[in-house]
Amino acid sequence: MIVLGIETATPRVSVALADHDGVVALVEVDAGRRHAETLVPAIEFACRHADVTLPEIGVVAVDVGPGLFTGMRVGIATAKSLAQALEIPVVPLSSLLVLAHPLRNDERTIVSVVDARKGEIFYGFFRSAGDHVHALTEPRCGSVDELVADLVGRQQSIICVGDGALRYREQIVDGYRCDFADAAFPSASALVAIADKEARVEKWVAADDVAALYLRKPDAEINWSTRESA
Amino acid sequence: MRGLNPDFRVNESTVVLAIETSCDETAAAVVMGGTEVLSNVVSSQIDLHAAFGGVVPEIASRAHVELLNPIVARALTEANVDPSRIDAVAATYGPGLIGPLLVGVSAAKALAFAWEVPFIGVNHLEAHLYAGLLDDPSLPMPVVVLLVSGGHTMLIEMRGPGEYRLIGQTIDDAAGEAFDKVARFLGLGYPGGPAIDRLAREGDPTAIDFPRAMLHDGFDFSFSGLKTSVMNHVRKNPSVATADVAASFQAAVVDVLVAKTRRAADHVGAQAMVLGGGVAANSLLRERFAAAGEVDGRRALLPSREMCTDNAAMIGAAAWYRLRSDGAMPLDTGAFPNLRLTVTS
Repeated sequence: MIVLGIETATPRVSVALADHDGVVALVEVDAGRRHAETLVPAIEFACRHADVTLPEIGVVAVDVGPGLFTGMRVGIATAKSLAQALEIPVVPLSSLLVLAHPLRNDERTIVSVVDARKGEIFYGFFRSAGDHVHALTEPRCGSVDELVADLVGRQQSIICVGDGALRYREQIVDGYRCDFADAAFPSASALVAIADKEARVEKWVAADDVAALYLRKPDAEINWSTRESA
Repeated sequence: MRGLNPDFRVNESTVVLAIETSCDETAAAVVMGGTEVLSNVVSSQIDLHAAFGGVVPEIASRAHVELLNPIVARALTEANVDPSRIDAVAATYGPGLIGPLLVGVSAAKALAFAWEVPFIGVNHLEAHLYAGLLDDPSLPMPVVVLLVSGGHTMLIEMRGPGEYRLIGQTIDDAAGEAFDKVARFLGLGYPGGPAIDRLAREGDPTAIDFPRAMLHDGFDFSFSGLKTSVMNHVRKNPSVATADVAASFQAAVVDVLVAKTRRAADHVGAQAMVLGGGVAANSLLRERFAAAGEVDGRRALLPSREMCTDNAAMIGAAAWYRLRSDGAMPLDTGAFPNLRLTVTS
C-alpha cells in the first residue's frame, strides 16, 4: 500500500509517496505562496516518476496545521477530495509533530515552533520514544515570551526546530540557552513515515472528519469578542 | 499528460460536476450537456456571517473546507450518477474572495486528477450569464443580461456562448452593496437585500423622491450618491417611517436598473432581457423587469431565484461551453480574485 503525503502548512509545498520500505518520491517546492498552483502538479509528478498509479494509493496523509491558514486549506481540501474520489481514508497530522519527527533519535526535549505571524508562534513539546516522538504538550498559540517562560520553567536540554524558532532565535536564546535544528519547514517525507505506521494499525479517519488545527480564531471573531468584553 | 481519454468529445451527454465557493455559499451541482441540471445543492453560510454584518473571508474559508466534500457527495447522490459517469470537474476560479476560491479550485483539481478527467476553471460572472440559458437553452440571441449582485452591476450583450460585450457597469457601488449598506444604516441586519425587500412591502415607494443617478445618461450606473441621500434624509428626518425609506430607496434602485436595461436592449436590438445575480431575487425588480418586457414586446427572462443567486448549476453550464470551445485547463491553474469577464469586442 502506498501512502501519499501532502504538506502545505508553511511556505513550502512538499509531497511524498512511501511504501512500507520508505519514501519512494519526494517533491518539494518553495513556492512563494503558490500552493494551489503547485500542489496537484507536484502530486502528479511524484506519481509519474515513482511509477505509482492512483489505485495503488491506500491512504492520504495531510498536515492539518497549525500553520498558514490558506496553505493548510489548499492541502486539506486537496487531501479530502483525493480521499473522497479514490475512496480511501486520511491520516491527519500536526505540523509540529511532523517537524519534530526527524529529531526522533535526539536525547534533548524537542520544541517545534511554527511562525504564526502577528508576533505569535505555534509551538509544542516532544520527546523521543524510540522510532518516533511523542507529544508532551498540546499544540498552542502564544508569544515568544510565553515559550521562553515555559523553557525556563522546564530547565531541560532543549532543541528547537521550525521557521518560528529560526525567526525568533535571538529572543529565545536571550531567555533560555538552547540548540536549534537547521530545518525550517516540515517535510512530507516525515509526514509519510509517521502516517505509514499509523495506517498499519488503521489509525485514520474518513475524509469528512478531517479538521484543520487553526489554534486561532478568525480576526473578525477576535475583534468581536474584544468589543463585547469592552 | 495524465490519463485523460484522448477520444473524449464534448457532447449533449457530457456530465460536469461543478463547484462554487467564491463567497459565502458552498455549492455543488451535476449538469449534463450544459443545460440539464441533474442536481443543484447549495449550503448557505448566512447564519455564520450575520453577527458580523457581512461576509468574513476567514470564516467563509473555514466553512467551505468543512462543508464542500459532503455537498459534493450530496450532489452526486441527488443526481443519481456514479462518479465514473463524471466527464469533467469545474470550479469557480474568480472573481471572488481568494480564500474561499482556493478551497473550491483545490478540491475540483484533486477530484479531476483522481478521476482522470478534465478540470475547468469558470469565471463566476460568465456563469451568471448562463442562468438564462439553463432556463431556456433555445433563447434567441442576442440578449441583454442585467447582472446585479453584491459585487457587480453590469449590462452585458450576449450574442451566444462565449460572445459577450460589456455595455455598462457601476462606476462606484454595486447595487447589492447599496442594499447592504442602506440596510445596515437602517438597522435591518444582514443580508440587506431580503430585509429591505420585506420591509418595503409595508412602505410607500413614492414617499421620498430619492435621486435616480444617471437615469438618462448612458449605460453606466452609480449608487453611491443614493446611499448618501438615504443617510442624509434619515438624519434630517429622524421620525421618518423606515418602511417608507426602504420602499423609496428600493424603487430608486429598481427604476434605474430597469430603465437602463430596456434602453440597452433597444440599443443592441436584443431579442430578450435576462436577469441574473443575487439582487435578481428582489421582488420589485422581478415584477418591474417582467412588466417592462410586456410593454416593450420583448421577452423578459427571470431565472428562478435559485438560479439567480450563487449556485453551482450555472458553473456547470458555463463549464460545458468552455470545455467545448477551449478544452481542459492545466492543473497548475490558481484562483483569481479580480478575474474579469473576457469580452469579445
